[in-house]
Amino acid sequence: MSRSDVLVDADWAEAHIGDPGVAIVEVDEDTSAYDKGHIPTAIKIDWKKDLQDPVRRDFVDKTGFEALLSERGISNDDTVLLYGGNNNWFAAYAYWYFKLYGHDKVLLLDGGRKKWELDSRELTTDVPERPRTSYTATEQDASLRALRDEVVAAIGKRNLVDVRSPDEFTGRLLAPAHLPQEQAQRAGHIPTARNVPWSKAANEDGTFRADDDLRSLYADDAGLDFSRDTIAYCRIGERSAHTWFVLHELLGLPNVKNYDGSWTEYGSLVGVPIELGEAR
Amino acid sequence: MSGADKASTVSGANKASTMSGANPASTVSGANKASTVSGANPASTASAGDGCGAPAGGVSVTSVAGTLGDQAVVEGHVTREGAPVSTGYARLLGTGDEFVAEVPLGDDGGFRFFAAPGSWTLRVLAPQGLRAEQSVQADNGQVTKVEVAL
Repeated sequence: MSRSDVLVDADWAEAHIGDPGVAIVEVDEDTSAYDKGHIPTAIKIDWKKDLQDPVRRDFVDKTGFEALLSERGISNDDTVLLYGGNNNWFAAYAYWYFKLYGHDKVLLLDGGRKKWELDSRELTTDVPERPRTSYTATEQDASLRALRDEVVAAIGKRNLVDVRSPDEFTGRLLAPAHLPQEQAQRAGHIPTARNVPWSKAANEDGTFRADDDLRSLYADDAGLDFSRDTIAYCRIGERSAHTWFVLHELLGLPNVKNYDGSWTEYGSLVGVPIELGEAR
Repeated sequence: MSGADKASTVSGANKASTMSGANPASTVSGANKASTVSGANPASTASAGDGCGAPAGGVSVTSVAGTLGDQAVVEGHVTREGAPVSTGYARLLGTGDEFVAEVPLGDDGGFRFFAAPGSWTLRVLAPQGLRAEQSVQADNGQVTKVEVAL
């Protein structure tokens, strides 16, 4: 798999507006952005309302995913082009999620909503109507998702990549600096984790850095052993989905999992080890 | 740090003159320890931390339960020729341009960060290559206000 199989630029997206085989989907947590203006023909998926279970802390199950995509008019044969705000965090999360449920033809728009806006490309408030489909998902691909016990067992054995900001990693902050500081019971990071903030993989306009730069970032700067399996985590799993996309999809590392429980789960577990300060 | 110290720190640390499109003469209004947080509504905490995304303009200060407590807030607005810039991004950077956080600007050009106390760089990106950059100081329990003109 190469970069062009998973990542497309804005020109590609513009050329496929109205293409019946391409479903353009904006994924955000704050969906007011979509309502103010979106790429023509794009539909929206609300990261929280549509992709998260309304009761348990988990994402919607296979049946829920099938119902969502059928209702939004996405078929199994469609190429799904995802983009969103927050430097594509939630679009990358959705990408990971589509892969979990077996949808192969998924693409991410490089730079997401930010680059599209900064380039002053067309946005519309028209909401398209896509006829209902009968979408069929596969069972979750467990090779892409890490759960808590697996993460605890991976300490010192696999690459653990903490993609939060340095202040969150060292324990100065509990949440990104655009949010009030609350949530997990304890601050810090999982022992033996390396801190490679997601932002280091992105340029200022939200596009991904070149493959060689990315390889150097993780292998040389952070000292990741590419021959080991890897688990990426952040606070709730969307920033780490961005890094999962880099490691698994762009760089082609074979065994990379996203720990979507992330720090809000790990930092509230009783009895697990936590490290403070710089990586050791 | 007193309020007066803080105001002089912000106004004296304007790096905007090096950036294209920035107007160094009008980029900083000075720090203001706003009293608006005293009206914070403890009932409206639900949306503050459920996710991780940055809503346009940043999370409302009134989403923080009770008082401002130990939150170190940096907030302000971006304008161009006196009008709000509603399409653009405010980024908070640490030492060595280390990325810390980013929010899309609100309809009123507004942005807000909940930083750790300390010195930060605020960078604004807007269409047509417009940019501005300046230093800000955040302190616990205080709202530092920064006005940016492109």
